[in-house]
Amino acid sequence: MIRGRIQGCWVCGPMLSLSISASNALANMPETHTKDLEQAAPQTSGRRFVFPRWANYLLPLLVLGALGGALYTPVLVGLGASPLTTDVGYQPHQPVPYSHALHAGQLKFDCRSCHATVESAAFAAIPPTQTCMNCHTGIKPDSPALKPVRESWTTGKPIQWVRVHDLPDYAYFNHSAHVNKGVGCVSCHGRIDKMEIVSQEKPLSMGWCLDCHRAPEKYLRPLDQVTNMAWEPPNGDQLAIGSELKNKYHIQDTAYMTSCSTCHR
Amino acid sequence: MNDHLVQQQPAAIQNAASAEAQRLVDSAVGHHVTGPEYWRSIEHYSQSSEVQKLIDEEFAGYDPKSLLTTSRRRFMQFMGASFALAGLTLTGCRRWPRETLAPFSGAPKDRTPGVPESFATVFEMGGVGVGVLAEAFDGRPIKIEGNPEHADSLGAAGAFEQASILELYDPDRSKVVIDQTSGKAAVSTREQFVDTLVANIKAGNIAVLSESLGGPTADALRAQAVAAGVKWYEYEPVSRDNESAGLALALGKRYRPVLNLEAADVAVFLDCDPLMRHPARLRYARQWSARRRTADAEGVMSRVYVAETTYTNTGAVADVRIPVRPARIAALAHAIGKALGSKAAIDMALADEAEKNFVAQVVADLQSAQGKAVVAAGLQQPPEVHALVASINEQLKAPGSTLSYLPVSEHEAGRPTHLESIKSLAADIKSGAVKSLIIIGGNPAFDAPADLDLAKAIASVPYSARLGLYYDETSKVCKWHAPRAHYLEAWGDSRGWDGSISLAQPIIEPLYNGWSAIELMALLGGASGVSGYDLVRKTAQSYIDKLQFERVWKRSLHDGVVAKSARDAQQVRVGPMKLTQPAAAPAEFDITFLSDASMYDGRHANSGWLQELPDPITKMTWDNPALISKSDADRAGIKTGDIINIKVAGRSLDIAAYIAPGQAKGAVTLLLGYGRTASGHIGTDTGFNTYSLRTAAGMDATTGTISVTGRDYLLAMTQDHFLLDEIGFDAREQRAGSKGHSGRIVREGTLAEYAEHLKSPDGKTTKPGFVSGEEEEDRSLALQLFDQRVYEARHAWGMTIDMNACIGCMACVVACQAENNIPVVGKEQVNKNREMHWLRIDRYYKSAPGRGDNVGPNDPNPQIVFMPLMCVHCENAPCEQVCPVAATMHDSEGLNTMVYNRCIGTRYCSNNCPYKVRRFNYLDWQSKDPRGFAKPWLGIPDDQQEQSISKIKQMVFNPDVTVRMRGVMEKCTYCVQRIHNVKIRKRNLTPGGIEQIIDGDIVTACQQTCPTNAIIFGDLKDTSAEVVRGQQSPRAYPVLEDLNTRPRTLHLAKLRNAPVTAAASHEA
Repeated sequence: MIRGRIQGCWVCGPMLSLSISASNALANMPETHTKDLEQAAPQTSGRRFVFPRWANYLLPLLVLGALGGALYTPVLVGLGASPLTTDVGYQPHQPVPYSHALHAGQLKFDCRSCHATVESAAFAAIPPTQTCMNCHTGIKPDSPALKPVRESWTTGKPIQWVRVHDLPDYAYFNHSAHVNKGVGCVSCHGRIDKMEIVSQEKPLSMGWCLDCHRAPEKYLRPLDQVTNMAWEPPNGDQLAIGSELKNKYHIQDTAYMTSCSTCHR
Repeated sequence: MNDHLVQQQPAAIQNAASAEAQRLVDSAVGHHVTGPEYWRSIEHYSQSSEVQKLIDEEFAGYDPKSLLTTSRRRFMQFMGASFALAGLTLTGCRRWPRETLAPFSGAPKDRTPGVPESFATVFEMGGVGVGVLAEAFDGRPIKIEGNPEHADSLGAAGAFEQASILELYDPDRSKVVIDQTSGKAAVSTREQFVDTLVANIKAGNIAVLSESLGGPTADALRAQAVAAGVKWYEYEPVSRDNESAGLALALGKRYRPVLNLEAADVAVFLDCDPLMRHPARLRYARQWSARRRTADAEGVMSRVYVAETTYTNTGAVADVRIPVRPARIAALAHAIGKALGSKAAIDMALADEAEKNFVAQVVADLQSAQGKAVVAAGLQQPPEVHALVASINEQLKAPGSTLSYLPVSEHEAGRPTHLESIKSLAADIKSGAVKSLIIIGGNPAFDAPADLDLAKAIASVPYSARLGLYYDETSKVCKWHAPRAHYLEAWGDSRGWDGSISLAQPIIEPLYNGWSAIELMALLGGASGVSGYDLVRKTAQSYIDKLQFERVWKRSLHDGVVAKSARDAQQVRVGPMKLTQPAAAPAEFDITFLSDASMYDGRHANSGWLQELPDPITKMTWDNPALISKSDADRAGIKTGDIINIKVAGRSLDIAAYIAPGQAKGAVTLLLGYGRTASGHIGTDTGFNTYSLRTAAGMDATTGTISVTGRDYLLAMTQDHFLLDEIGFDAREQRAGSKGHSGRIVREGTLAEYAEHLKSPDGKTTKPGFVSGEEEEDRSLALQLFDQRVYEARHAWGMTIDMNACIGCMACVVACQAENNIPVVGKEQVNKNREMHWLRIDRYYKSAPGRGDNVGPNDPNPQIVFMPLMCVHCENAPCEQVCPVAATMHDSEGLNTMVYNRCIGTRYCSNNCPYKVRRFNYLDWQSKDPRGFAKPWLGIPDDQQEQSISKIKQMVFNPDVTVRMRGVMEKCTYCVQRIHNVKIRKRNLTPGGIEQIIDGDIVTACQQTCPTNAIIFGDLKDTSAEVVRGQQSPRAYPVLEDLNTRPRTLHLAKLRNAPVTAAASHEA
């Protein structure tokens, strides 16, 4: 019976047989065990239990398994936190090769000139085609790269931009709540003004959000510098100005900032 | 210390004391073993084993084995395989689906993406409009609120208005033109429909059968069509024609009576439910509640008398109520009239002591409240009763103060009654006079009097066309069907109960290219392709001054109501009239018909929200059993759930019975609107078609016989769901001594007691029910097992629920459902205690004092208390203490928050909640057909995993609230999304500053829709807030106070204002 079971299960069987052999060896009382086995497995009666040949591979297998187990956890954690998972570096192809590096970087457009609702709404609106056409009726009116823009303008159909920064549906991020309290665009979006094609620079994970929610002074900046991508704290002392602004802007305490309901509804 | 330890024990431990053991304890200490003082059902009162099981077991009847069709071993294999697959493809750890953002090409003016906007429009039912505000999120309406500018809404909305948003996105709505001329339904085009219609109009001999349409544009177009030779019939199955006919009898012509309950010290309602079953119900409820609220400031309240057959909401909140058979109403009216000196009243004998006492009290109160009293009769009562009531009101000097008579529109003044109209249509079809019939709205094939056999008649008309929101019973028998535009998709106008004009504007383009009623009516007049907008604007020129047209038009559109368009009251005198002697109560059963609180006349049958909404009184979902009194049921051997047979004049109906406490003996009430055969996936085959017993001769009440069939029927009612465990409290009291006093769940008192309490200087009274000084001390000194939390945040949210103002209308339940994306679960699941409503209104019965042995279910007239209950946001929250993953936590402002993305579904929290307000997603309700059976989640193809939520259904979701999935617990959040949205909006006004929140800036969904302002939410740190005033009221108490959970929501005790002699009369 035991033999049958040993063959039936690949994991328990060898373990069981190992433990039996170990206890046989340790107890040094082969007679009793033989007796037990005789009762349990009459077909082996009269003979000592002999391991089949394949049992020789069990030990190396076990060692491999232990090694694999030891690797499993770090790999899992590594994968979970890897940029592949958090999507850092996610850079989808957009229907129009709009360059933030050109518009925001070289031409020094303020973020709000296109993302106009960022100070008043949860959602920083992608500008309507109209905004593009304000300039591009005159500038590069025939550029082939701008064809989708012109098409959208003539047909009235929207341009289908691909979303880069995306949070789960149960996290309720509000742009206006952050921008009006001195959190700069660059803190979450990175140096957009240097990106030819926008990519996700920060992990946007909950731990990353909490990093600031627990200690906003590490990131706060004056309200008039919110859209300035290149802003540096005076004397390089972020904590000094951050702590000052935290009081000045009436930033809520940690208990409030880390309450579940602040972000999840 | 010891007793506090006991108090902190989880409910599960309290529950462990079995009922049997409790009874032993009770008898040992000499308690008289009876039912609870406040009982929810007959079974609850008798403490039946099934009800005890519901109390003892958190998940009664839950057998995990029944869910699993696979063995544990097979399950492990599945899981292993899934993990392996997830590892292979890494799909489990990759970015969610690619999303695109589609900004406008040219942005509309004043539109911010993601910021909802509200537009005023009007919701019309039965020809009367109620002003509403439709909230649109990025162009799709997601929520209906009342319009504060509209006289019939005053900012409140009822269950019908709230649920209308779901109707808009109903996937079962009719989407295409259907041509059935060949005998089979075939999809056709709009053009063909119009061509055939125009051809038939040109051929002449057109008849129109329309539902009641009350707007000025409809009036104008109807007049045009009638002038062009169209024969017009109008029919509403629930009609107020008896009332206008009665007033015509008394006053010479038809009028519309408008009550002013705010001016009424005494109001007497005879088979009348103005707080629930009336077009102006929201306004009446607001006025009534204003006179309840005066109790706190002045120690006075209005007094409401109700005589009725079936418990209605008005009856439930009446100070004195008497159940009588419908035929006795006339007798009571005559007796009251005679005593007050009405010339029209006939001397009539009163049947029994109860009637005599009632009339004596009513007469005494009415006489002393001349000019401040009003009497009203219900729409089921014959015209003569209404005429008599008019003469009583004149005796009371009611017109001009508590009552006004408004003139009616030309159409209303001249049309035949709805009953006459439908009868003459049936006759005309029979005689062959009708060659072409156009049916606008309504559903006459389903709800016309049964003896007219209208479905067959319509089918025999050579050309018939139907404009309907659904392809329903009537569309099936017509030759053509065209989809109708929902009111949120179309231009229109309507008149309120006071005649004021409201404009309806489309919030969204028609989803299915439907016509509105007025657009079709314009076709009848020969104009084709005229838009609803042009029609409404053209009519508006008749009532808006031409010189200021654009300005007033814009203003009216914005406000939702045309200023100063209400009709002026007219001074009229009751003329001499001769009334006939009312018939004596018949020997057979009275059978009365009542519009259903959720289905109305059947038009809302396909609304899952309304189907699952418990009836305010019976707490019935998805069904309409016949209501029968306990004594009649006992005599016939009927139990709730038995199928009985009702025979009325040769017609017969098998229908489930429901023993309704407070139902008049000798009367059976049938609720209309169920038993639809072609309503869609939700409404088809729910309940019983009571129209099959309703004939032209007995539209309101008739007589019949009942017999037992021996079969039974599964009714899904929620009255015994989520019972609070009182037995456990009794047991604890045995061990730990008394804390607080009786009425741990419900507290109530009389107005006299309350007035005495308010006057007493030390706040101490002998009467129970109100917080005495001693008790306050108790509350503050209680030893705490847990450290007292200190709330340093700027706000501390709290709520009060005034049980003295609640009329149990259920509007809040639907509002909460709409706001918080609460799913519908279906009848089978309701039966398993799995309904998801975060907010429930518990209805408790209680015997009035002095009933002797007639207590509990044997009391022919028990009193009712409505108790809205949702999460009370305990400061010592029992749920938080048992959650293993901290998925339910306090936030810094005192909200007991529920974090869906953390929840792993252990349901420990629900088990430990003494209020039973947590709801668990047993299945993926949102993507599941609510009427389907639960699919075992393994072993069969799992459509719950595969099926996504329909794109149309998705549109109704509030984007500010997470849509919960299977395996997640949920509960009331105090509308945390509204709190945060307002705070952020206010903060944005001064970047870097503190939000200045004024009391009333943040309203919860239930509070916003409540017609009586019974629910008040606010900041407990704002000393001037209304909620603080409420919480300081002597009537305020925490439910289950002795558990020391310290709820943020306090309930305010109910007050009754029965005359002192009333108790004596009850004893008699």
